[in-house]
Amino acid sequence: MTRLVEVPGQFDDRSFDQFAAAYAQAAAGGERLLFDAHAAEWASPYGLVGLLAAGEAAGRREGGERPLLTVPASAEVVSYWARAGFFREAADLFEVHGKVPKTKPATESEVLLPVTPVRAAEDVHAVVSTIQQRASAILAKELGLDPKATMGFAMALSEACQNIVEHAGAGGWVAVQAYSWRRKLARRVVVIAVADAGVGFRHSLEPSQAKRFGDRWGDAAALEAALIQGTSRFRDPGRGQGLAGIRRYLARWEGKVAIRSGTARIAIVPRWDDDVPLRDGLAAFPGSQVLLIIPEQGSAQA
Amino acid sequence: MIQHIKVHEVLQQSVAGFYADLVTRPTGRAVRESIERALPEGTIAVMDFTGVGCLDYSCADEIVAKLVREKVRVLLLRGTSDAHRDAIEPVLLGHGLAVVWERPDGTLHVIGAREPAAALLDELVAQQVAARTPGGAIALTAA
Repeated sequence: MTRLVEVPGQFDDRSFDQFAAAYAQAAAGGERLLFDAHAAEWASPYGLVGLLAAGEAAGRREGGERPLLTVPASAEVVSYWARAGFFREAADLFEVHGKVPKTKPATESEVLLPVTPVRAAEDVHAVVSTIQQRASAILAKELGLDPKATMGFAMALSEACQNIVEHAGAGGWVAVQAYSWRRKLARRVVVIAVADAGVGFRHSLEPSQAKRFGDRWGDAAALEAALIQGTSRFRDPGRGQGLAGIRRYLARWEGKVAIRSGTARIAIVPRWDDDVPLRDGLAAFPGSQVLLIIPEQGSAQA
Repeated sequence: MIQHIKVHEVLQQSVAGFYADLVTRPTGRAVRESIERALPEGTIAVMDFTGVGCLDYSCADEIVAKLVREKVRVLLLRGTSDAHRDAIEPVLLGHGLAVVWERPDGTLHVIGAREPAAALLDELVAQQVAARTPGGAIALTAA
């Protein structure tokens, strides 16, 4: 028997909890999973890397068969997912059903970094090198960031990817795109999405932090410890700087950071957004999913 | 005697692959260990970042902070960009450390925690490695 996990029509960080709930319910049994994306009309980088994380987690379950994936019915959507590099990675994780165009990941201006696997330090080097070549013009010309901000952008991306290498205990994916965010902001944004299906923040920090939090310990407390207090599982006092650095960079450019791990989600919410700073009791989803958003500077109000 | 470290060259020699960016802990660790092998303890060292692209917090911590904490008496940074210093300064502050930064015009300034910073330029002057310029700034006497 196959259990269905529906991929939301508009698949981004806002609809991710709906997807995670469907995943948690379907994955509870031992049946093979079918991720149904036929009705998908759009997916953000966060949706695409999150779907890969779900595919990996589904295949890793005890006795879990490689999950099925039905591709979006819209040829335009499939083409975009292909150009974003999604299917190149999905082929290893899913039994893909539907026609997928044989397109190389894009070098178009929107896709600053196609969906890229992150498993080791070398992958982070490659990502940082690529993004500096591709992002400089976009950040400066389209988003109005100081040209010097490109280096900070690469640094934030590096730190976000390193969380996978250092803490996840499994590989993950990163994707970076620029697009017009009409619905929310009426301006352009650059979005970095990083996802893995590893152990998550709670498991990573538990040996060093659980006692300190006592009864409060859980996914939300772990995210708070990591993002707000800058704690790390390592005793070395120099650890835990990465997320703090990401926060500083985003604060300078009025950006947003949100991290979902396990059953909780934390966000540093800029004034243009109405997200909730901390959510707990969400449907359990493996690993960690990180979202960084940098908006075009100073041209529109929230 | 001042020890000179060309970080970009050390990076090329320490890590497989042609990288210009100092990112990730393993890279930072490899670079620091290479530097440590060639550096006598308690020395004054000039660390030249010319040619280095992105520097992330992990590498700033592994290379700059750990060398200052464990190996060198005074560390002087040369050829740094604003972005390099954006990564280095918070790491130094987190450890309560400071380093000397040489501006492109050759004048010396300190970045990092206030308390150790105050003594750094005095130390360089006392060692006759640096001196006051006629304009009142401090610069190295011999690069």
